[in-house]
Amino acid sequence: MDYDQNLYLTFLEKMYLIRRFEQKVYEFAERGLVFGSTHLEVGEEATAVGTLLNIKRSDYMIATHRGHGQELLKGTDVNAMMAEMIGKATGICGGRVGSMHVTDASVNNLGAQGIIGASFPISVGVGLALNLLGQKDKILISFFGDGATNQGNFYESLNMADIWKVPVFFVCVNNLYGMGTAYCSTCNIEIYKKATFFNIKSDYCDGNDVAAVYNKSKEIIDYVRTKRLPALLELKTYRTIGHSAFDKHPYRTKEEIEDWKKKDPIKRTEDILLKNGTPKEKIDKLKKRIDTTVDDAAAFAAQSPYPVYDDSLEQ
Amino acid sequence: MREITYSEALREAIRSAMAKDDKVIMIGEEIGQGYAGVFGVSKGLYDEFGPKRIIDTPIAENSIMGAAIGASLLGFKPIVEVMFADFIAVCFDGILNQAAKVRFMSNGQYSLNLVVRLPGGEGSGTGPHHSQCLESLFMAIPGLKIANPSNPYDAKGLMSSAIYANDPVLFFEHKKLYKTKGDVPQEDYAIPFGKAGIARAGKDITIVAHSYMVSVALAAADELYEKHNIDAEVIDPKTLVPLDMQTIAESVKKTSRLAVVEETYLRAGVGSEIGSIVSERYMDWLDCPIKKIASRNVPIPMPASLVGEVIPDKKRVVKEIREMF
Repeated sequence: MDYDQNLYLTFLEKMYLIRRFEQKVYEFAERGLVFGSTHLEVGEEATAVGTLLNIKRSDYMIATHRGHGQELLKGTDVNAMMAEMIGKATGICGGRVGSMHVTDASVNNLGAQGIIGASFPISVGVGLALNLLGQKDKILISFFGDGATNQGNFYESLNMADIWKVPVFFVCVNNLYGMGTAYCSTCNIEIYKKATFFNIKSDYCDGNDVAAVYNKSKEIIDYVRTKRLPALLELKTYRTIGHSAFDKHPYRTKEEIEDWKKKDPIKRTEDILLKNGTPKEKIDKLKKRIDTTVDDAAAFAAQSPYPVYDDSLEQ
Repeated sequence: MREITYSEALREAIRSAMAKDDKVIMIGEEIGQGYAGVFGVSKGLYDEFGPKRIIDTPIAENSIMGAAIGASLLGFKPIVEVMFADFIAVCFDGILNQAAKVRFMSNGQYSLNLVVRLPGGEGSGTGPHHSQCLESLFMAIPGLKIANPSNPYDAKGLMSSAIYANDPVLFFEHKKLYKTKGDVPQEDYAIPFGKAGIARAGKDITIVAHSYMVSVALAAADELYEKHNIDAEVIDPKTLVPLDMQTIAESVKKTSRLAVVEETYLRAGVGSEIGSIVSERYMDWLDCPIKKIASRNVPIPMPASLVGEVIPDKKRVVKEIREMF
C-alpha cells in the first residue's frame, strides 16, 4: 500500500487518544477514584485502532475487560466514557458498572465482558441473528484476549460459528499474559491455529504495527462482510503496564518490558510520519488537541454527580 | 371446554407466538429434526417453521445459552430448550452473569426477551442427573423471572407471557405433568406473572405448592378433609419470581398456619424463602411453626424405594400437616 499521510495522522490521533485516556484513568486510580479494578491497554493501542478503523458504526461490537480503546474507537463519547470509569451518573451506563463493562447501544457496542470467554457464544448468537435478519451489510467484531482461548466455550463457539456460518470477525488481542501467567505456559498451540482446525479463516500479524493491523483486518473484514463467514485474527502485542492499574507486574522482566517499549506503536507511527516529511509542529498540535479533549473529559467526569440508589433497581 | 395435555398447551402458546412474530425462535438440542424435544413439546414445529426458526444445535449447552443471549440482544425472542433442567448447570454462567445482568449493566440500553425451558422433576427412575427441581437455586439471582406452571391452562398462559417478559425467564416444567390433561381455551391468553392462584379454598391451613407438587398438595388436602377434618387452602404461586406474597399473606391471615410443599431440596428452598418472609412480617398471625415439606437433602436416587423417601408424596404431606394440629 502507498504511504498515505492522512491515514497515518488518523492512526496517531486515535492511538494517542487511547493512550491519554488510559493515562488519565491511571491518574484517577492512583487518587482512589476508580473504586474497583481497571484494565489499561497502554502499549496495545494499535490493535483497537487498526481493526476498528475498518468497522462501520452500524456494525456490532463486543469488547473485552481491557476495552477502553475498543469502546472509544467504536464511537462512544469521551466524556461519557470517562465518567463511567469513576462511576458517575453521566457515564455511558449511568456509572453503574465502571471500567470493565461499557455498553453503548447508540454505536452498537453490545457490551464488554468481565467473564473471560463468555463473549464467544454470545458472538455466535449475534451472528446467527444477523443471518436470520438477512442484514447482509452488517458484521460483528468480537474482541478477546489470549487467555480466553483456553476456555471450553471458545471451541464450542468456533464449531458453532463454522456450522452456522456467522459473519463474525474474532479478534484476539494477544498480549502474551493472562494476568500474571504467560500464555506459552498455558498452551502449546498458537492461537490463530486453533481456528484453522474448525476450517475458519485465520491469520495473525504484528499487533504493534498499526498499518499492518489495518491492512490485514481490512482484508479479513471484507471477507467476513462479503462471504458472510467467520474469521479470526490474532494480534501479537504487549501491555507495557500491569494487568490492572494496581499491578506492579513482578512476573515480567525489566528487559522484556523495555524491549517492547521500543516497539511502541505510537512512537513507531510518529517516526514514520516524521521520516516522510510531516512537520513536528503538526504532530504536536494534534497531540495538544487530544490532551485538551481528555482533560476536558476528566473535568466533566470529576464534576459529575454519583448515581443515587432507588428501589426501582430491585429485580 | 376442550381438554389438551400440558405438553400440547405449551406447544400451542409457542406455535401461536411463532406464527404471529417472526422474531420468536426456538434453540436447543433435538428440538427439530431429531426427537422434536425429548418430551415432544416442539412436535411438528420444525415442519411448520423450518430450520431457521427451530434451530437444532450441537450438545453444547453453554454455547446454546450464549447464542440465545446474542440473538436476543439483536431483538429476537429465543425460547431455549434445555433438554433436562439438570443441564442448566452447564450454562450457568450465561444465566447468572450474562442474561440476568444485561438490563442492569447496560443501564436499560438492552433488555432480553429470553425463555429458558427446563423440564425438571423426578420422572420415574431418572436418577441424580435427570430428576432435579432447581427453582430455589435461581430465586436468589436478581434479574431473572421464574415461572412454574402446575397445569395445562397455566402452561399455555404463562408461556405466552414469558415470551414477551422483557427479562430472562426460567420456565420450569415438570416431567410428570407433560401428559396430564386439562381444560385449555383454543384462543390465545396470557397469565400475568406475580399473581398466585388459589387451587383449593380452605380455612384451617395454607399450603403453598408449585409445579407438580400442586397436585400432590391437592390430593393430600382431600385426604386431610375427608379423614382428619382439616380444611386446607392450597396456593399455587404460578411464578416464584415475582412471588405473590400478598395472596399468601391473606391466606395465612385467615388460616393461621403455613406449610410449603416443594420438590426442590429442603435446604435454602422455596419454603425457606416464603417461611422467612411470613415469619418476619406476619409472625403474630401464626398459631404454630411454619412447616417445610421438601425433597430431603439427598441427590435424587433411581429406585422407587428411595425416591419415595426423598421426594414428598401425599402420605408424607398428610402426616406432616397433621402434626401441625
